[in-house]
Amino acid sequence: MEYAAYPEPRALSERDPDAELVAGVGRQEPAAVRTLVARKLPRLLALATRMLGDRMEAEDVAQEAFMRIWKQAPRWREGEARFDTWLHRVALNLCYDRLRAHREEPADELPDAADPAATPDAQLEAQSREARVRAALAALPARQREALVLNYYQELSNIEAAALMGITVDALESLLARARRNLRAQLAGDDLAGTRTSR
Amino acid sequence: MTPERFRAIVDAYGADARHWPEAERAAASAWAAQHRSEADALLAQAAQLDVWLASDAAATDVAPDAALIERVIASAPNNRKLRQPRRLSLAWAGGGSRRAGWWWSGAAVAGVGLIGGLAGAFAVSFFLVTGNPSPGPESSYLTTGFGGTAADWSDE
Repeated sequence: MEYAAYPEPRALSERDPDAELVAGVGRQEPAAVRTLVARKLPRLLALATRMLGDRMEAEDVAQEAFMRIWKQAPRWREGEARFDTWLHRVALNLCYDRLRAHREEPADELPDAADPAATPDAQLEAQSREARVRAALAALPARQREALVLNYYQELSNIEAAALMGITVDALESLLARARRNLRAQLAGDDLAGTRTSR
Repeated sequence: MTPERFRAIVDAYGADARHWPEAERAAASAWAAQHRSEADALLAQAAQLDVWLASDAAATDVAPDAALIERVIASAPNNRKLRQPRRLSLAWAGGGSRRAGWWWSGAAVAGVGLIGGLAGAFAVSFFLVTGNPSPGPESSYLTTGFGGTAADWSDE
């Protein structure tokens, strides 16, 4: 099995768990390429899908991110940043390029248009739970969404997520708490639909 | 661990201790065990949102389809190198592809331009070597309108 040549990443290991694999990609080893795609493509797709709210656009972002990997891998040096952190930053930058094209700035405040009271209750009821969660995530301010996606879904530590976002851990926790309050307010149903969301 | 800090952790990271800061996880869990009723009230509220978020994980975290995986793998440098000779061989073989047709028409335009350029360069260099244009029927075209006017008036 070709994948066995490259160990699975361990979050707590001191070495970059992807370093050996990236070196193999830099040497243009087909097994390394396949293993890296198998390991990172699902994570990139999930990240971009949640940031953009669109699977097709997320696939485009994932492909662009891999083009950056192919270009960077021969020059990759272990020690400065973990490869996974760098890859998340690349993917997030690509997502923000697209969000800006859609005129969604990376603000951390909730726009008025995202007020759940503005969404008809009947429409909310008609949506499945998954669709409602997706819609609520998409309605979050981009920085709140980024913090939640990195910490909850991508399972980055608070220190990694804060470093990736260029903020302190305290600021990350503030974004996370606001994101969760906003989501709870939007998803709580009729009882809370009329309440204002936190800012 | 203080009650305020426990609340802040749950507010930010949810009810699942796996998402809590590693450095505070043990202390927060111990505090929750010692203050069961207070902790449970906070955790129950956060757990509801965790269930909602988990439902999106099931819907969104689906495996990429095989076609996308193959497209990404094919974009890797070693695979791109393997694809290029096939395209070139079609072009050189004149296999009737649109790409090959464009290549030939482009080469023809470039060739005509090159011949024209060489002809112009030859004429200019010839001009410089001889020093001045050859006299003859064309000499009137190379003098100004003011040339020879005094001689014309003196004749009158």
